[in-house]
Amino acid sequence: MSIATIQNLVVRYGNFTALNGLTCEIPEGCTGLLGPNGAGKTTLLKTILGFVKPTSGTATVLGYDIATAGKSIRQKVGLMPEQDCHIPGTTAVQFVAYAGELAGMPAGQAIRRAHEVLDYCGLGEARYRNVETYSTGMKQRIKLAQALVHGPKLLLLDEPTNGLDPAGREEMLELVRSVSHGKGLSVIVSSHLLPDIERVCDRVIVVMQGQLRASGTIKDLKKIEGQPIDIELRDTSPAFVTALQNLGAIVLPPKRTIYRIQLPGLPEEVAKIAMKTARETGAQIRGFVVAERSLEDAFLEAISAK
Amino acid sequence: MASPIADLTYRNYDGPLEPPINRWWAIAKLSMKLSMKKKGFWVWASFSTFWYAILLIIFYVNETLVTSAGPVGQKASIFNTISWKDQFLNAFNESQLFLFILALLMGAGTIANDNRAKALLVYLSKPCTKLDYVIGKWLGIFVPMTLVTAAPTVIFYFYCLMSYRSYGFWSQDPWLILKLCGMILLPGICYSSISLAISSMFQQGRLAGGVFAGLYFITYFITAAMNGAYVSITMNNNEAPSIVKNLFYCSVDGIQNAMAKILLHTNGSTQIPIPGQGGQAKFQVPEPSTLVFVPAFFLICGLSVLIAWSQIRAVEVVR
Repeated sequence: MSIATIQNLVVRYGNFTALNGLTCEIPEGCTGLLGPNGAGKTTLLKTILGFVKPTSGTATVLGYDIATAGKSIRQKVGLMPEQDCHIPGTTAVQFVAYAGELAGMPAGQAIRRAHEVLDYCGLGEARYRNVETYSTGMKQRIKLAQALVHGPKLLLLDEPTNGLDPAGREEMLELVRSVSHGKGLSVIVSSHLLPDIERVCDRVIVVMQGQLRASGTIKDLKKIEGQPIDIELRDTSPAFVTALQNLGAIVLPPKRTIYRIQLPGLPEEVAKIAMKTARETGAQIRGFVVAERSLEDAFLEAISAK
Repeated sequence: MASPIADLTYRNYDGPLEPPINRWWAIAKLSMKLSMKKKGFWVWASFSTFWYAILLIIFYVNETLVTSAGPVGQKASIFNTISWKDQFLNAFNESQLFLFILALLMGAGTIANDNRAKALLVYLSKPCTKLDYVIGKWLGIFVPMTLVTAAPTVIFYFYCLMSYRSYGFWSQDPWLILKLCGMILLPGICYSSISLAISSMFQQGRLAGGVFAGLYFITYFITAAMNGAYVSITMNNNEAPSIVKNLFYCSVDGIQNAMAKILLHTNGSTQIPIPGQGGQAKFQVPEPSTLVFVPAFFLICGLSVLIAWSQIRAVEVVR
């Protein structure tokens, strides 16, 4: 089941077209929204929330039409914006409880839930401090807490690791990963940091110049056409390479002792052939894995495609 | 260290959620709570009642003189010539500066500080509309301001009703309480609208406060100058031109004075009741035209709210 369906969405800021006929379907689970700066990721999130009115096209989020049911959508969605934001003059617990009340929680429930969410986000000790005195890492956490307080069905995270040191980044990714898996909560993470996306998301959507460039599971995107396999030998073996080439295989130059070979057929069949050839040529196989490219390569290919 | 049975993993909220309408009340509640937490609010609110305190002292002293001096004292009593509604008008006018300071305290930063902290992203990502936000912020200033104006006025009214009925407090104007109910709404309506508009145009509460104070005092200077001109003209037994009378009311302070005079239907009288003088109404700028000033008041307030509404955006849209 999809949490958002977007069809031919066009968003213009004056003469600048931020989203140019974007069409995509976002399934349940944790989805990464990838794209270079200015690709339209944040605009898409803002359009989903009703901050920006689309020039044309339609979109539904959690079954609600963005054109007519903005309030219902926002009640079921939590946003962690990219910029630091807080309610001035409030402590963390007041801020988060207030965010809950704004979302429609009764005051008593909001304050109880605020304590719970702050504990979860690791701000339990600092809950009575004024938010303005928080460090960057704490401000990121409080933004996550205010987005989670009302129990949203969909969480939108815009650059959640922005400005965090390596330890803070690690902790934030762990928090995001834990809320997005097995808690009945779908998450869309917008980022241009590929390792972050790879760490927490199952699927990605690649956006470039306001258009969809690629989408699917990370595993699928990393797949290489023809499904080559990487074989690690104990030592380099020209005889093994020659034997495989005689069988019609394409063998790429080795990286240390790892050969990437491509033969028609399933990876299991190719593996059998490689094992047999190794036995015949006296090569010792140390490892065998279906080759895949990095997410970065997949991303670069997607954004460079016309 | 957490107890082994403590579940610290994320759990979804499955409690009740109210329908996504009328979120303005939550915004108004927090604005009021934050305002009333400031010590300055209580200090300036107390100062705004000072004229009622002075009147009570004057009345007490006068009443004591009346009883101790017998018929001579009774003849000199201010209660023989007092205009009761003018006492409320004077107290209202005298409290204006303190109410302005209160408005500055509560209103100058109300949207400007939210702009600085990018709080609109929080508000508008929840089921709140721009209208909810403006209404909530407006009420957050209006309600405390009205309570500050209402409390001393109502207490003074009932004190006078119980103590001075025999001096014509009731008979002079039986509908006075209703008129006062209208009057006590004026500072709340005026200050919350204007401060909201100014605050929405800035990213810093201090800057907004500076502009608001500038507007108040520059226009107040016009009122003071016109008052001086009016008094000097009438002292020479001449009729003041209408431009002087109208300009007198062309300030943040003045327009509220105009509305109060229209509501109470009076020209006003001197600040301190003078025995036997009937309140020296001659030197008071007379009640202005209802047809001009009532629409002007509501137009200014309405436009101010509209400005605030138009300035509010969750995101900067570059065109």
